[in-house]
Amino acid sequence: MTVSFILNGEDVSAKARSVDRLADLLRHSFNLLGVRSDCRSGRCGRCLILLDGRLVPSCLVPAFNVRGKEVVTIEGFAQTEDYRDIVEGFKSAGVETCGFCEAPKIMASAALLDRKPRPTAREILEQLSCAPCRCTDPEALVRAVQAVAESRARRLYRRAGQ
Amino acid sequence: MLASDVHFPKDLAEALDILRRRPGILIFAGGTDILREQGSRGLSLPPEILCIQDLPELGRAGLSERFLEIGSAVTIAELLDLGEAALTPLLAEALRGIGNSAIRNLATIGGNLASRQRFMDSWPALACLDGLIELRDQGGSTWINVNRLVGEGGRPAFPEGGLLTRIRVPIERWDAYALRKVGPRFYPAPDTAVFAFVARAEKGILADVRIAFAGELALRSQALETSLIGRSLPLSPREASSVADNYRSLGSSLPEGLALQFGALVDAALGLLSR
Repeated sequence: MTVSFILNGEDVSAKARSVDRLADLLRHSFNLLGVRSDCRSGRCGRCLILLDGRLVPSCLVPAFNVRGKEVVTIEGFAQTEDYRDIVEGFKSAGVETCGFCEAPKIMASAALLDRKPRPTAREILEQLSCAPCRCTDPEALVRAVQAVAESRARRLYRRAGQ
Repeated sequence: MLASDVHFPKDLAEALDILRRRPGILIFAGGTDILREQGSRGLSLPPEILCIQDLPELGRAGLSERFLEIGSAVTIAELLDLGEAALTPLLAEALRGIGNSAIRNLATIGGNLASRQRFMDSWPALACLDGLIELRDQGGSTWINVNRLVGEGGRPAFPEGGLLTRIRVPIERWDAYALRKVGPRFYPAPDTAVFAFVARAEKGILADVRIAFAGELALRSQALETSLIGRSLPLSPREASSVADNYRSLGSSLPEGLALQFGALVDAALGLLSR
């Protein structure tokens, strides 16, 4: 079966079998290696993507089910200003994520900030529990996401004033 | 299996027609419960799949004066977005216990209720709230109380055939509630279970009380609940202790660890009625 969908802003099609998970399709058919499929139970967060704007573990999505939908992976998100806000916010708060959790934490933060421009500490910790990793101090993560929220608000405010 | 066996009906009528023609077809919405059980890279799915998650009729949720009505393909995250006031704090807390926020973006309320292997997180809360489910086939619709999804020995008995389309939750005032998930939280294990309790008082009298506990087995005794209704509040320590003993007997069918936790949770719930 050929599935057609929007991947990182482009219309794409791929051959998919009903045995394929979306995470594997993204890695093997599109060479998007930022999506990993480790736990295959939605727990580790390494395969997080945005599916129609919602954060989901792509290991729990069968490839056939992406038909007609919009997928953003870390590779696509890295081309946006929002990505730069998050990376700079993390850096300014002294958060140094590891290779295991950097992409999922960025994707989880992006999805949260889209839904809640000023998230509370509890909302941040709840959201980032999708990308569990002991490398980062939770309080620093809260500061980082709140810093990102501030810088994004300033950027949007400047843009509105132009 | 070829992916051409995956059906994407455009509306509910077409889905029901497919279901009539292919009675053994796998009904697929969020798919989290189906996929997470398969740790292998390649999925092993039945030869035919009916995808219902994008059916507009199943993706709506709304409040009327008497009940909250939820389409079966509404995701847990979408439900939580309705807020506690619409959901009731009991149901909201049960839904927050499901997976993590990314999984809740995929998992649907219908999938959570329709599991054949075990009772999932929403069942005890919906049982306490007297929730109803609608099963549709081409012959029409049938409404069933979620308490009737319990079969022999307390095991799940979700009806075969038909499509779970809507869930209705009556809107009632509750003065006390408690919800506790025990055992491994992220994904259900044999010792994962959820305890739910609600109670309402009228002029110092216990007007209604409901207690449900479920994991691989479901426990609810309307006889014990009825024995509590009409008593003056607060319950005396002797009354509470006597009722708790009866509930412990009820819980003796559970594995030992769960039976102990069930007893402690009943004690805590009755404690709310004793002060």
